[in-house]
Amino acid sequence: MNELVDKLRQGDRRALARAMSSVGATGHTESSLEVCLRESTGQVPWWGITGPPGAGKSTLLDALLVHLREHGRRVGVVAVDPTSAWSDGALLGDRVRMMRHAVDDDVFIRSLATHGHHGGLSDATLHCARLLELAGYDPVLIETVGVGQNEVEIRSVADLCVVVLGPGYGDDIQLIKAGLLEIADIVAVNKCDLPEAQRLVNEVREELVATERSIEIVAIEAKSGNGVPELLQRLFELDRARRTETAEASRNQQRSLGEIRRRAEFSCQQALRHVLAGPEIEQWIAELNRGACSLEKVISRLAALALAELQQEADDE
Amino acid sequence: MNAHTPKRILIGKVGLDGHDRGAKFLIRALRDAGYEVIYTGIRRTPEQIVRTAIDEDVDVIGLSLLSGAHNELFARVAELLKEEGVEDVVLLAGGTIPEKDIPHLAALGFRHVFTPGAPISEILRALQQELSSRE
Repeated sequence: MNELVDKLRQGDRRALARAMSSVGATGHTESSLEVCLRESTGQVPWWGITGPPGAGKSTLLDALLVHLREHGRRVGVVAVDPTSAWSDGALLGDRVRMMRHAVDDDVFIRSLATHGHHGGLSDATLHCARLLELAGYDPVLIETVGVGQNEVEIRSVADLCVVVLGPGYGDDIQLIKAGLLEIADIVAVNKCDLPEAQRLVNEVREELVATERSIEIVAIEAKSGNGVPELLQRLFELDRARRTETAEASRNQQRSLGEIRRRAEFSCQQALRHVLAGPEIEQWIAELNRGACSLEKVISRLAALALAELQQEADDE
Repeated sequence: MNAHTPKRILIGKVGLDGHDRGAKFLIRALRDAGYEVIYTGIRRTPEQIVRTAIDEDVDVIGLSLLSGAHNELFARVAELLKEEGVEDVVLLAGGTIPEKDIPHLAALGFRHVFTPGAPISEILRALQQELSSRE
């Protein structure tokens, strides 16, 4: 694994791709890789691009790539799409809109699935972003689907977040109310050539009057690239303004905390699932239903078993 | 605690062929069968396809072409893969490919060639077979 990391640091694309695969579906890594990943200092900006399906995130990313390349930057992209609720599969279709960058040596795009992580992110996303950093890509752009409060983990992982909205979804107001706007540093209203877009800009503006954070609204037309250089300029400016040592350290800490939390939640869920399928449950339910014990009692027995299982696993490591 | 890692498949259309309805149907079927599908769209060059396949570290490349230029374009993809030292990817081909061209494609490394009308079940079965024989 260490050779892989050495190679990718020297620009070996296959090594980078392989390292990303070794991180796997859920992001559980070998400890040697984990050590390398912790080296990430938080100095390379990570920008999150999120928003509902169809808003134009990938198209915007494609345009941003063009301009970032003009600025001489080597850009890494992690594009995340949801895993199907029914199968374990996923349609990773963001790349379609970025194909003109496919043969650019200074652009690396990796498509990932969420694997049931409700925050819209998985540890795999985090590790791939870190690998891109190690390989010398700067900035790292992370595209995720975001429709509400459940998909806001990108906020704790990215330095800046752009929320992309587009007209034509009757439920834009719902999105706004669902808390998606709260994570934004910039709200990009796309398809600004359409009349409905201006209405959307007004709605967003009204909604933002209530928040205390300063959130900017930018109107863009991603397909033609209209407004994109300005958006990029704002991102550079915001990035510079925030680039302090304490901000970096705190960002790094937040990412690690998020990782720990996600891993802990996953482990607990697994342990619970296992225990709930166990032989004791039926008896407890019988006791519960004839009033011989309370629900709280059942829960505390459950917790004890699940904890024992987690302890067992930790000991096995 | 072992999470099953889905296999990754790149579906690409090379050359000037602009028909993608079949491909779109296929990619959904593949997703429903549990694969992670990276769809590259239409009118891609062999270079774009191969670079994408490498960066995404796919297990399978499925090339589709309905315009008849399969011999050169598919050959070019196989050639580029070889140049890049990519040896462990399953290659599949689909499209309006006459019987007489199938042996040539097989020699290039394409494990299966699907002609129009090939049922999805056949494609899925072939895929599963190829992947499990590599485990």
